[in-house]
Amino acid sequence: MNEREERARTDRLLQEAMRARLSRRAVLRGAGMGVAGVSLASLLAACGGGEPEPETPADIFAGEPGPTVNFANWPLYIDQTKDKDGNVYHPSLRLFEKKYGITVNYEAIIQSNEEFFAKIRPQLQAGDPTGWDIIVITNGRQFNLLKQNGWVYKLDPTKRPNFEENATPFARDPDYDPGNEVSMPWQGGFTGLWYNSEKTNGPVTKLDDLANPDKVGKNSVGMLKSDMPDFVMIQLGIDPATSGPEEWKEAAKWLMMQRESGTVRQYYDQGYIDDVTAGNLSAGMAWSGDIVYYKLWAGYPQLEFVLPEAGSLLWQDNMMIPVGAENPVGALMVMDWYYQPKIAAMVTEWVLYLSPCKGVREQILKDAEQALEDGYKGYANKLYQTAEAEIAFPSDETLAKAKFGTNIMTDEQAEEWDAIFLPISQQ
Amino acid sequence: MAVGGAAETRGPRSRYGRRKQRAGVWLMAPAGVYLAAFLLVPMGMLVYTSLQSGGAFSGRFYFDWNFANYADVIVQYKTQFARSVAYSIAVTLACLLLAYPMMYWIAFYGQRWKSSILMLILVPFFVSYVIRTVQWKFILGDDGLIFGPLKHWGLLPEGFRVLATPFAVIAGITYNYLPFTALPLYVALERIDKSLVEAAKDLYSSKWQAFRRVVWPLSIPGVFAAFLLTFVPATGDYVNATVLGGPGTTMIGNIIQEKFLFEFDYPGAAALSVVLMVAMLILASIYARVLGTEDETLTAAI
Repeated sequence: MNEREERARTDRLLQEAMRARLSRRAVLRGAGMGVAGVSLASLLAACGGGEPEPETPADIFAGEPGPTVNFANWPLYIDQTKDKDGNVYHPSLRLFEKKYGITVNYEAIIQSNEEFFAKIRPQLQAGDPTGWDIIVITNGRQFNLLKQNGWVYKLDPTKRPNFEENATPFARDPDYDPGNEVSMPWQGGFTGLWYNSEKTNGPVTKLDDLANPDKVGKNSVGMLKSDMPDFVMIQLGIDPATSGPEEWKEAAKWLMMQRESGTVRQYYDQGYIDDVTAGNLSAGMAWSGDIVYYKLWAGYPQLEFVLPEAGSLLWQDNMMIPVGAENPVGALMVMDWYYQPKIAAMVTEWVLYLSPCKGVREQILKDAEQALEDGYKGYANKLYQTAEAEIAFPSDETLAKAKFGTNIMTDEQAEEWDAIFLPISQQ
Repeated sequence: MAVGGAAETRGPRSRYGRRKQRAGVWLMAPAGVYLAAFLLVPMGMLVYTSLQSGGAFSGRFYFDWNFANYADVIVQYKTQFARSVAYSIAVTLACLLLAYPMMYWIAFYGQRWKSSILMLILVPFFVSYVIRTVQWKFILGDDGLIFGPLKHWGLLPEGFRVLATPFAVIAGITYNYLPFTALPLYVALERIDKSLVEAAKDLYSSKWQAFRRVVWPLSIPGVFAAFLLTFVPATGDYVNATVLGGPGTTMIGNIIQEKFLFEFDYPGAAALSVVLMVAMLILASIYARVLGTEDETLTAAI
C-alpha cells in the first residue's frame, strides 16, 4: 500500500514539473485531447516533435481527475434514497463525492445493450466523445465490438487498488476480457429457470420441463431470446466457451423441438416480468434478481427461481470507459470505489445481484446486526434474507457449474450463429 | 378587370404577381430545406448503406454495389413480408369499418359536440405509444381485468387467451392507428354539403342509395388518405408484435430492428427498409388507380 502511494506521489511530482515546462502549443494540443490528453505521449510529441505514440493506459490515467464523472447505468441498479427535501440520491455515490470532491452525474438510461450500443456507436466510429465517462455493458456481442474496435480505454491496473485486492474470482480475469484489460464488473447474475407454483404441475427443475405441455401447459413458457442459445447449451452439457456450429445446431434443435411442443408463449427481449406478475406465464427462463425480488419483496410468494442442476448461465454487466471520455481518471476512481466491501454492500442491499466484490456478505450481516440493535427489525430481516440468497451469494458448487456465454468474435461466427438461432424466434 | 386601364395596371399588377411568386418560393424554402436535409439525405444514405458489404467485427463496411443484399433479404424474409402486409390489410379494413360510421355520425349529426368528440378520439395520443400498448397486457391478461372474471364464471374456457396471438397484434395496431384513419375520414365527410343528401332524397332515393351514390363517392378522397396514413405505417410497425405477439407473429419491422440492433447487419437492414418502402409505394399507387386518378384523389385528400 505504502509503496504504491509513494509511487503515485512521485509520478504526480514528475508530471507537475513537466507541465511547468510545457510550451503553449503543447498545452493546446493536450487540451484538444481532453483532460487526460496532457499525457506523456503528447508531452513527448511536443518536446521532441516526433510522431505521437499511441496512448498507453498509464498516459490516459495519469494526472488529476476532472471535476465531474458522467455515469450511464441500467435502471434500478444502485442503492437510492431520498433526502429530507424529497430528492432521490445514491448514498454510495454521495460518499464518493464527499471524499474526493468530484460530482458524479449518474443516469439510469441503459435499457438494453443493443439500443445503447446503437446510440453511441456512430460517435465512437467518428471518433467523437459519447458524453459518458462510464458505461455498463453486459458481456456479449456489444462488449466484444467495443473492445475489438478500440472504442474503450485500456485500464491502468495500478490505478485500481481496491479491485486488485477485493475482486471475486469470477469478476477477475473473465474469458471475455482477460486481465480485465478494459472492464470491471458492476454486478452480475444468473440466467436460470423460474416457475409459478400455482400454474405448473409440480416444480420445474430442468430444461426439458419447459418443453413438456403436461408440466407447464400450452402457450405459457417465456423464453429469453438473447440468452436461450447459451442457456440451452449449458443444460445439454455443452460449455459455450468451447462450442462451435455443431453444438449450436444441437441447441437450436432442442429449441425448435420446444417451439413445436406448443409450450412457448413468447420470445422476449425484455419486459417478460410483466407477464410473470400478470400470471400469463407459468414458467420459463429468467434473470435471477428479477424473480427473487418479486418473490421476497413484492408479494409474489408463488414464484420460484431455480438454478438448474446442469448449471446456469453466468453474465456480468461491466463498467467501461469509452474513448473520448472527458474524465477517465475520475471514472476509474469511481469504478474502483465500488470494490470496497462497505460500498459494494450498499449496492447489494438494494439490488440482489451478484457482487463482484469480496466480503459483501460479511458486511451485510454486520449491517443486519446493527439494524437489529437500532430496532429496525423489518430491515434487519430483509438484510438477513439477502445474505442467505443463493443468487447473491452462490455456493462454490453453483459457481463451478455456472458458465459464461459464447464469445462471438468474428463476422463469420456472428453470421453462422444468427442463421442458426434467429429463425427460431423470427419464423 | 377593366379593359380600358389594362396598359396602366399591367405594370404594377405583374410586378405584384412576380413578388407573390417569389414570396411563394420563400414560404416553401424552410420546409424544402428541412425535407432535403432530413428526408432526402437519410434516404440517400439508406440506399447507399443497402448496397454495402462488410461486417461489424471486421470493423468496416464498404460500398461495392452489393445488390445481392436485396435478393438475400427478399428470399429470406418473404414469410414475414407477406405476414406484415396481410396484418396491415386486416388492420386497415378494421380501422375503416370502425371509423367510418363513427365519423359519419359526427360529421352529420355531431352538431355542437363535434369538436369535443374529436378531442376524445385524440386523447390517447397524450400517452406514449408503447405504454398504451403495454396496458393491453393488463387489460387482456389471461387472468386479467376482463378474462379473469369471465373464466371464473365459466363463460370462457380455461385455456382461452387473446395475448400472444395474431389477433392481439392486429387488434393492437388497429387501436393504435384508429385516429389516423378517423381524422381524414372526418375531414372528407364534414366537407360534404348536407343539402346534396336532401336533394337526393327529394329525388326519391332511399337513405342507402343517397349514401351509396352521394356520400360515399364524395368521401373517397378521405378514404384514400385514411388508407395511406394507416396501411403504410401499420405494415412497418414492430411495437405491437413485440409486446402483444407470440411465436409466429414476427413482422418485417421486428426483423429490421433485430438486423440493426442485434445482428449489426446494417446493409441487410437498409435493404429491407428500401424493399418495404418501394413495396408500399407500389401498393399505394395500385390502390390510387382503383380509387380514381392519383392526382385528383391526392390533392383532394390534402
